Amino acid sequence: MFDGLVMLGGGLAHFLTPMSLFNIAWATLLGIVIGALPGLTATMGVALLVTLTYKMAPDQAILCLMCLYCGAIYGGSRTAILLSIPGTPASAATTLDGHPLALSGKAGTAMGLATTSSAIGTVVGIIALALIAPLLAEAALQFGTYEFFWLALFGVIISGQLTAIDDPLKGYIAGILGLLVAMVGMETLHAHQRFTFGISALGGGVDLIPAMVGAFGFAEILGVMKRTAQARIISSNDRVVPRLADVFRYKWTTIRSGLIGTFVGIVPGVGEDVGAWASYAAARRVSKEKDQFGKGSQEGLIAAETGNSAVIPGAMIPTLTLALPGSAAAAVLIAAMFIHGIRPGPLLMTENPEFLYQIVAILLFSTIAMLIFGLTLTRPLLTVLQVPRERLMAVVYVLCVVGSFAITQRMFDVYVMVGFGIVGFILREMKYPMAPLVLGIILGDLLDLNLRRGLLLTNGDPSPFFTRPISAVICITIVLTILMSIPAVSTRVRSIFTRSRGDTSAPG
Amino acid sequence: MTTDTSAPSETAPEPAMVKADLLAGLFFILLGLAIFYGAWTMDRLEVRRIHPMTVPGLVPGMLAFALTLCGGILAFRSLRTPADGGWRQLSGAVFSVAAARAATVMLLALIYTLGLVGTLPFWAATGLFVFAFILCFECWLSVPRKPWLKSLPWALGLAVVTAIAVTLVFERAFLVRLP
Repeated sequence: MFDGLVMLGGGLAHFLTPMSLFNIAWATLLGIVIGALPGLTATMGVALLVTLTYKMAPDQAILCLMCLYCGAIYGGSRTAILLSIPGTPASAATTLDGHPLALSGKAGTAMGLATTSSAIGTVVGIIALALIAPLLAEAALQFGTYEFFWLALFGVIISGQLTAIDDPLKGYIAGILGLLVAMVGMETLHAHQRFTFGISALGGGVDLIPAMVGAFGFAEILGVMKRTAQARIISSNDRVVPRLADVFRYKWTTIRSGLIGTFVGIVPGVGEDVGAWASYAAARRVSKEKDQFGKGSQEGLIAAETGNSAVIPGAMIPTLTLALPGSAAAAVLIAAMFIHGIRPGPLLMTENPEFLYQIVAILLFSTIAMLIFGLTLTRPLLTVLQVPRERLMAVVYVLCVVGSFAITQRMFDVYVMVGFGIVGFILREMKYPMAPLVLGIILGDLLDLNLRRGLLLTNGDPSPFFTRPISAVICITIVLTILMSIPAVSTRVRSIFTRSRGDTSAPG
Repeated sequence: MTTDTSAPSETAPEPAMVKADLLAGLFFILLGLAIFYGAWTMDRLEVRRIHPMTVPGLVPGMLAFALTLCGGILAFRSLRTPADGGWRQLSGAVFSVAAARAATVMLLALIYTLGLVGTLPFWAATGLFVFAFILCFECWLSVPRKPWLKSLPWALGLAVVTAIAVTLVFERAFLVRLP
């Protein structure tokens, strides 16, 4: 514990240089702008920034990427409140109460509360990250081949389940498609080339960054340009800096939402949007002012914003300790870490323990930057929202091309970006979530290698996959998750529970 | 708990989506079968005497099976869901203004990426793309259309600025090579 504090101090001191502070400032501000612009998401921003940070020192590169990520998730709330369009998917829940508040002339209050809630949410997540990550990393050292196979499968399935709540089947399909994409190229056990069809560029497989730039960048451009209607900005001149009493009035909602967000972040591949919805739903369920939700409830706004921001540090927990991305943007971060020679995973705490605390420090700094920019730059951010998308999206596409080309300097990667963009757009239009697809691309290799390596170790006997305690637990969880996603099963299970609850409450 | 209709709403599926699901389901079945065939006929590396349970085609085969299964469920479910006028609604969506706008973006993007980049210098290709994109969407596909004279300076200015800025920022400041 004491070691941890010392290393945290080290992490904080590490970034107290003028260069780092400058990077924190511009990256967070850029993040807020990207988040605020509808059609530019956090994942897209991080994926595009990887290119620019390519030649930086590893710690500074990760610093910029993380700050941009935090800024973007927060920045989306601005658009949600003023335009009733979520700037990023993460702030979809914010629109429900944020925009009604703006309509009733309290846009300033709403923006202020969104800012403080995002900051507090991140802090709750940061505390969890600093406490849980070292423990999880230690536990993860016990994980072997068998457990990693199940973890990879669990990641894809749970992500498919939770990112497509209406229709988990589509989430699963997206996950399977991602895993299949990962099968292309040289496999790691016998160095055999699979599905390359004689194209030498496919030998190394499909790179994650171009695929993500396509699925989150180009596909998003297509989605935004498809719509004809433009929203109108609603703003007012009331105070933005919230009163402390307002912030602390719903302290339990804040803490609860922070914890829910962190937990959602820990679940692999389930991102900020789910975190926001989950904490919003929980807040409404226990709130004394249920009827106000959706009509401009401050509590609802606080829950949504705390929930989505707490996901970021939460997502870093599995990302750093297991190399399982906790969210789509975290998947890009993993790719960026590998580019910069940092290997996330169970060995991170033994090889590079300072790095975890540097991440904690980065998150703290970016929270401070977000708070300052969020409460002061109200007017300039309003002008950002007025940029016409016809002009913006043309430039963004150019950045997508450059971003996917720059890493390995092959035109092939640009074609991958275009392909993923078009396919991703069609899939999105048919309500397939993108997060499981991306998670599949990242985890495919892990799943494939560990399954076959496990079978090799046991000479073809699959029983350790089911008999080792941790394996068995994950396996049962997977089976239950899939079973619960079948409507017939889940309604039956739910009816059992409601019936028994009805029985016990009936006499009282 | 009575009003628990939180955001991911549980409305009845749109008829067009039901039909789209049917097509997608059939496509996934075909794709799954094709990949399964590829995995089954993949080299089993018997020459290298690897363990038969570790053949390279094992996981792709399993995934292909899962994809076929999911595609089958999707198609079956779609067949059982009543969707009156689904085909008409679906073709309406495919030939709508929105789809035309998306197709225009795709077309412009493809011309830029596959045609212009590589044949022209990158800055020229970029400028041309930005110029065409803005004019296309402001003066032709927008409702109401903007007057040419108002959009032209913007399109020209932004094209020049983007072409110069992207080249300078990436090549000089961040030392990234451009296509």
